[in-house]
Amino acid sequence: MRELRIAAVGDVHLDESLRGRYRERLDDIGEHADVLLLAGDLTRHGTLEEAGVVADEFRDLPVPVIAVLGNHDHHSNHPAEIAAMLNDAGIKVLHDDATVLDVDGVRLGVVGGKGFGGGYAGKCASDFGEPEIKAFIGHTKRIAERWRVALKELEADRRIVLSHYSPVKDTLSGEPLEIYPFLGSYLLAEAADAEGADLVIHGHAHAGTEKGVTPGGIRVRNVALPVLGRAYGVYCL
Amino acid sequence: MEAPQYVAARVQRALAEDERTNELGIRVDVRGEQLFLRGQVTGNERRLLIADVAREAAPGLTVRNEITVIDVRGPGEEERL
Ligand SMILES: [Fe+2]
Ligand SMILES: [Fe+2]
Repeated sequence: MRELRIAAVGDVHLDESLRGRYRERLDDIGEHADVLLLAGDLTRHGTLEEAGVVADEFRDLPVPVIAVLGNHDHHSNHPAEIAAMLNDAGIKVLHDDATVLDVDGVRLGVVGGKGFGGGYAGKCASDFGEPEIKAFIGHTKRIAERWRVALKELEADRRIVLSHYSPVKDTLSGEPLEIYPFLGSYLLAEAADAEGADLVIHGHAHAGTEKGVTPGGIRVRNVALPVLGRAYGVYCL
Repeated sequence: MEAPQYVAARVQRALAEDERTNELGIRVDVRGEQLFLRGQVTGNERRLLIADVAREAAPGLTVRNEITVIDVRGPGEEERL
């Protein structure tokens, strides 16, 4: 089976002032990668104007583009409109579901969505107490369950989980410990480990580190732009 | 006098909540009369805006803008997993 080259970046946080600046780094992406994954926080405030910049920066590339949204893309309460604008530009936006691409006969399956927080095993919020806390952790639990089902049903040769929030602590190293519960949740990793995947991609932790692994041994890569310090990471499966 | 921790927390919240910035990833430290900003952004315009918002949230302090602008080039080396 042919090797797949996965390009990935998150947290590009585009707005009008950055129009065209990211695009110029993507011209030769077809020479480096078979697909581009965008790990959320594509905009700064989640406005439709900023989403227009994102659509223009990533449309008509020589490789397919698959994205999830991040917390910034939700800030103006227009996530559905933003997703629709990106879809119109040919960018497939995942919302706790799956997509399968055919790359020269190799089926690449990608499952994912924004994800959410809650913290990591033994040091996390639980479904107990005030309704506000239950709503917080309940959001993460429902997302993780949808990913687990999507992974279970996925028929593909290579399997990737694409998230904005982090499924593991490893890739948060460099962030203050106190904010870990807002950076991700182990429930996301648990879903991936339960059904199996070859790689987990996430963003959100701008001060974290690139490389980690889930408790079950799946490689995790934090592709937040400030972490990578390069236009995108390329991972070969 | 207001404790420096509260000033730093107010600036950090302003950076996150002010719609000119909505910046969550900047470290803010207050030492005496100085306010230090550290982190990474992708453009100089954004770097200057962050300092403006910080200055408004903490008038009277000298803002030391130590935020770096990252200039992202090329994809770098690929990794085989
Ligand atoms: Fe971000
Ligand atoms: Fe984020």
